[in-house]
Amino acid sequence: MLTEEENEALCRVGPGTPMGKVLRRYWTPAFQLGDLPEPDCPPVKVTILGENFVAFRDTQGRLGFLDELCCHRGASLTLGRVEDCGIRCLYHGWKYAVDGTIMETPNLASTTFRERVKHGAYPVREAGGLGWVYLGPPGTEPPFPNFGWASAPADEVVVSEIIMDCNWMQAQEGSIDSSHVGILHLDTLATMGSGPRSVGSFDFAGEPWDLDMQVPGGASRTPGEAPRPGVWPSEDNAPKIELENTPFGFHYAAIRDASEPGKKFVRVTAFVMPYTALIGGSNGAVIVVPRDDYSCSTIGVFRLPPGTDKAVAAERARRGIDPAVWGPEPENRKLKLPKQDRAAMAAGQSFAGFRGGNRVQDGAVQMSSGPMYDRAKEHLVPADLAIIRLRRLFADSIRLLEAGHDPVGRGEGTDFTQVTAASSIIDASADWRDLVPGHQASKEPAN
Amino acid sequence: MDREVSELVLWMSVVVDNACTQIWDAADGGVKVTSLRVSPVVYDAVAAARPKEVARHYPLMLLGLPIVADRDVATYDPVVA
Repeated sequence: MLTEEENEALCRVGPGTPMGKVLRRYWTPAFQLGDLPEPDCPPVKVTILGENFVAFRDTQGRLGFLDELCCHRGASLTLGRVEDCGIRCLYHGWKYAVDGTIMETPNLASTTFRERVKHGAYPVREAGGLGWVYLGPPGTEPPFPNFGWASAPADEVVVSEIIMDCNWMQAQEGSIDSSHVGILHLDTLATMGSGPRSVGSFDFAGEPWDLDMQVPGGASRTPGEAPRPGVWPSEDNAPKIELENTPFGFHYAAIRDASEPGKKFVRVTAFVMPYTALIGGSNGAVIVVPRDDYSCSTIGVFRLPPGTDKAVAAERARRGIDPAVWGPEPENRKLKLPKQDRAAMAAGQSFAGFRGGNRVQDGAVQMSSGPMYDRAKEHLVPADLAIIRLRRLFADSIRLLEAGHDPVGRGEGTDFTQVTAASSIIDASADWRDLVPGHQASKEPAN
Repeated sequence: MDREVSELVLWMSVVVDNACTQIWDAADGGVKVTSLRVSPVVYDAVAAARPKEVARHYPLMLLGLPIVADRDVATYDPVVA
């Protein structure tokens, strides 16, 4: 549980808020590069951390990330014209370069103003199909997190984004919550041929929405039947959690009994401060970014094998997408929860009753807590250790920044290409740390 | 860590994290824990956050354990028992 005051401190992200100040000390994934595909294409409006911005790609292909409203009379630059190496406001024609330089002020002949004042502009980097920005004080940028998946060519990366109407902490905590997988996502496990029941067909889901999660080995629920690769190998819904802080955040292992004697099923998740979870068995990352206090983006970034055919990549990008629920188009990214199918639930065809796969099911429960959940009411259990540590790192970061230090896990000295997750069946006596060779423990947090 | 600035609020996330770590350590050692001793400040904060549970005479609990106020326990160092 958190006190109401602490809950507010951790959840609110606007300028000047404790957590808002912390988050502005990291590189933040802000928009999809696919939304700005070519020079001088239409700009996009971006809302992150409670502020509005305009992103655009200028004539030379450079990205600009500026405060949204024109500094003259406050018209939105998202209405503007992107032309001749800048973005021009429709209202009075003021024009800005990607670095915020005021290039033209048609209704002000004197050059003094534009020589002395710049429009709000922020550093931008392109990686992993995303535009990353730094919103903190100039000169305080940490090293850019060079994740392995983020360095892949654009055509080898699939990005999917769901916007949800709830505070970002509800989504972020869900991204590292291992013990819900065997419950909420029973429908997915059932289509994988495991779990305490089987749907027997894809009639409800329509298709195997997001079965890209790889699971090791395989096991049969029927004695004497050969294990089937790709089957979720455990029915243990109370995993033992082991967690160790790292320079980038933490690794935690959800350790479940495996169906094979003398073995255990281990999923190691890497949480990289403050937005990113690398999930065991998934070749990519789940990134949760606050748009404002009451909405967030959950971004999945997955790397395809090198040389993947573009048509296959496009098909993969579409998988799991139901246009009636959400889609890749900018205007359709907000999750519209389908009606819960109580008939399917009653008929044993679905556990959760939400079609659309894991992310829709996650969205349903995360939004069900309300726009900003009051954690004073919750009753955490020891299996929630990863969530507990996540809050601890955020609280530590707030306190450190207030005391004039950097928040935790900014990546100094970290080789992010070595940050990995894992999912495997290993000997019961083996150490999960061996599954993530880049693992490096850091000191436990101080009081 | 310099805590002067942030002493304005009680950081329950620190209390809960320290308690949870102890619980897992106890489980690793085969020790059964039955309660959690906390400082009166923490106890009062939990009680204030859960007025309905107090009104119903439910035991106040953290991490599945009933909590006991103990003046000898520091704010950020709960003790499993």
